[in-house]
Amino acid sequence: MIALIFSSVFILIREVKSHVNDELLFYNNYVVSAIFLVEYLLRFWISSSVTQTIIKQSEHDVMLGNEFNLSLALKNILYEKIRYVISIKAIIDLLAILPFFHELRLLRLFILFRVFKLFRYAKSIQVFTSVVAAKKFEFLTLFIFASIVVFVSSVLIYVMEANNPASPINTLFEALYWSVVTISTVGYGDITPITEAGRVVAIFVIIAGIAVFSFTTSLIVSAFTEKLDEIKDTKLVDDIAKKREFYLICGYENISKEVAKKLVQNSEVVILEENEQKVLQAKKDGFFALHYDPGSIDSYRKLRINIETQVSAILCLSHSDVENVYTALTIRSFNKDVFILSILKAKTNRNKLLFAGVNELLYEKELVGMIAKEFVGKPVAFEAIHALQSSYNGIEMQEIIINERIIDGYKVVAELECHKHRIILLGIYKKSKKNFYFNPFYETSLEVGDYLLLIGNIQFIKEFTDNLHKGKQ
Amino acid sequence: MHKIALIFGHNDYTFEIEKNIKFHYKKIYIFKLDAQDTSKDSNGYEIQTFDLSEDWDELRDSVDIDECEAFCILEDMSKNIFLTLSLRDTFKNLKIVALSQDKESTEKLILAGASKILPTTQTTANIIVEMIKKPIVTEVLHNILYEKSNLKIAQVMVKNAQYFNGLYASDIDWSKEYNITVLSVIDEDGDTEFIYSAKAKHQQIKNGYQFVVVGFDKDIIEFEKLIGGANE
Repeated sequence: MIALIFSSVFILIREVKSHVNDELLFYNNYVVSAIFLVEYLLRFWISSSVTQTIIKQSEHDVMLGNEFNLSLALKNILYEKIRYVISIKAIIDLLAILPFFHELRLLRLFILFRVFKLFRYAKSIQVFTSVVAAKKFEFLTLFIFASIVVFVSSVLIYVMEANNPASPINTLFEALYWSVVTISTVGYGDITPITEAGRVVAIFVIIAGIAVFSFTTSLIVSAFTEKLDEIKDTKLVDDIAKKREFYLICGYENISKEVAKKLVQNSEVVILEENEQKVLQAKKDGFFALHYDPGSIDSYRKLRINIETQVSAILCLSHSDVENVYTALTIRSFNKDVFILSILKAKTNRNKLLFAGVNELLYEKELVGMIAKEFVGKPVAFEAIHALQSSYNGIEMQEIIINERIIDGYKVVAELECHKHRIILLGIYKKSKKNFYFNPFYETSLEVGDYLLLIGNIQFIKEFTDNLHKGKQ
Repeated sequence: MHKIALIFGHNDYTFEIEKNIKFHYKKIYIFKLDAQDTSKDSNGYEIQTFDLSEDWDELRDSVDIDECEAFCILEDMSKNIFLTLSLRDTFKNLKIVALSQDKESTEKLILAGASKILPTTQTTANIIVEMIKKPIVTEVLHNILYEKSNLKIAQVMVKNAQYFNGLYASDIDWSKEYNITVLSVIDEDGDTEFIYSAKAKHQQIKNGYQFVVVGFDKDIIEFEKLIGGANE
């Protein structure tokens, strides 16, 4: 659409001094206009939902025990549509179609209205208009002030100069032109007052012009400063909405920071935090963080994401069980399936979190107790497992799911030849039976959906996995 | 095996640790800092008090410090670091396991003389990431490590190296021959090597080596009998 707009304006400019061939004119007057007409009609159609208005009216009447009032519903539909038609955006769209009637030369100038359509497509222009709109009262005040100064100075300069035959200001329009040029601090100098009284007026207009100019600049700057965070957040939300898959962390505390640091190594992470300072810290730490309340449904609506497909898991990592329960309940109120993991701060709140719909809980104190046991009982074994979990020395434990492709080449454990690949097959997790089979026999058959739990060098495991997917040569 | 555990700190961590370590010690003493909350459950223990300006004479008189291991689990990190430092200053050979809530405290605790660190934030974060990235691996390791299944992890010391007749650890099909999985080999210097690492591949099994093995109880016991004996 942006290309159409620019091509249309280009043809108009070219037409001023050169001959433009008929095909291009046809394209400009009919093809582009027709496309814009279709766009206008479609936008008109979707501007309000007819069905929704009828249903709303019906529900309203049912609630009050009245008979369904079709005429009122139609009136509401008409009202909504007219409201759209007289909106500035719709008027610009309509004016952009007018060059269609190219026989009327004046209407061809309406091609320029097509440029205004850019407002619809260019986000930065929308941002600018929203910033200006946020300060509309101040701009209105400025406009009234500037108009009064222009009006008074135009009349004054006319009164002072018009009777002097040597003065270039002879009409009220020339006086108005001079005032506007002077107050805007442009000052072409093509028209200048020659009388003393006229020059005194000019001094006042110049001073007023500086005031108007400074006021306008400061207004725009302050409007941008105030809206800067909002603009950044909007950009962030747009970026998040485009992400294919990510983890959503609710609350930014010590644990969240560590979790996010680990997850961002090979996944995307988004953090929601209520506390502004913590959001700033999260941003400083290099994460996507939004100053949104994780316990509010509105936050998830504003995110404009599809939780089902885009969110891999939601992690409630606030250091308050109350907040985590609240967040979990909020999420469960609109989504039953997304995986939620939460930390538990006080043992007594375990059931409350589970009741709120959390899938997995992690009680930090219990974990510390178990680690202490391993420390005193089997320190070396513990270190070995810990090393495996943290991929120390390039050795790690991986789970590989058996799919149809793998099963075609490998029917039983013996065919995997793990020993040859210098990796350890710790066991097979049979999802169908929800059971882990340690050290399976060589003749154990593999099934689709089984998980192989492998230990070994990351590179060897990768090579082994690639071989599995390639199938047996 | 040490006989006495000294737990310094009376908070939510105390009895989680006590519950897990009580089978390893003959006696456990729990101490609370003077200013600590007194409303917490004592679980049948006589909770003694201490303050940070202690010179530990009373402790030295009441227990044989060579038989002890200390757990410093105060939630206030500055106090916990001070406690660790105070214990280390008085008892040079005492094994001190200290609780740390962040990286900065971990470094300070090590400087203060802690022998082992229980890094709460780091560990919790690791487990969370493992749980969501590799749920099955995490579940299996968790069950093995914290003995929630029949599988066990053990350290087995080689005392009868001639049994292997000069073989290399990576040459043996452990699962087929002994129904166990050998994860790593620890040499006489205490260096740990993964069973299939380049270094372990060129190491003949010698007396004094330790194997970290995973297997069923009876298979591990059988294996221990064959090669010498377990560490515990």
